[in-house]
Amino acid sequence: MIPSEHILLLAGLLFSIGALGFLLRRNLIIVLASIELMLNAANLTFLAGSRMHGGPAGLNLDGPIFALFVILVAACEAAVGLALVIAFYRQKQTVDLEAATELKG
Amino acid sequence: MVSLLFYALAAVAVACAIGVVASRSPMQSVLNLLGSFVCLAVIYLLMGFQFLAAVQILVYAGAIMVLFLFVVMLLNLTDKAPKSSLFLGLFSPKVLGALAAFFGLAAAGALAAGSEVAGEMGVVPEGGLDPIVGIAEVLFSKYMLPFEAASLLLLATMVGVMLLAKRERSDTDGGQA
Repeated sequence: MIPSEHILLLAGLLFSIGALGFLLRRNLIIVLASIELMLNAANLTFLAGSRMHGGPAGLNLDGPIFALFVILVAACEAAVGLALVIAFYRQKQTVDLEAATELKG
Repeated sequence: MVSLLFYALAAVAVACAIGVVASRSPMQSVLNLLGSFVCLAVIYLLMGFQFLAAVQILVYAGAIMVLFLFVVMLLNLTDKAPKSSLFLGLFSPKVLGALAAFFGLAAAGALAAGSEVAGEMGVVPEGGLDPIVGIAEVLFSKYMLPFEAASLLLLATMVGVMLLAKRERSDTDGGQA
């Protein structure tokens, strides 16, 4: 039996790494990958919570349902984000975030 | 045995996550992301969420990963060769291949131990209700409205992505396609 606290610890670790990548990296593709990493950590937290607050069956089914919806939204986000990357690349010929500074004034 | 597998998978998942953030080339980053997804899928399996593990593999390691790889290859971002350092060498193709073999063994072990794990974690109650059946029952009764809203979201995403990625033909360089 894996303690739920260790699962939460893993989720926190993955989320921190993802947040770090999101804030520090300047490549758009890697930034999007970091977002996916954070969403995965959130999913893991939902599933751990489902185990910790289980009903008579041992599992609370609201957790997996929420994880399912998170996966769905993540798929939509990845599709829109990557389409934006392609549109950005067509304009700037690069995927470097430093090139997106037109709103600076 | 189960907890040993969990800790090994957790270590690999964290190592792959660090690889995602630390890789110099987007290609290595995306392949590390794939490793992380697969590790998490096997962890879901160990936790007793078979359906979520399948969805994780299908949607994340399948669809989203294909999208990422497609964009990386379409934009030809792999040209800039990464500076080879000891740290980045950890995520070279050889190591990734070894990791893939490890995932395969882990998944096989998880499946072999599946019934034992399910019993150990109390996934299957006395009535024999499978969690997949439970998920379906909740999804199509309590969460019917979000389910329908999700289909609307998918439709809106599809239209939006087509609009975003479409090449404008009225421009002067319209014949480039």
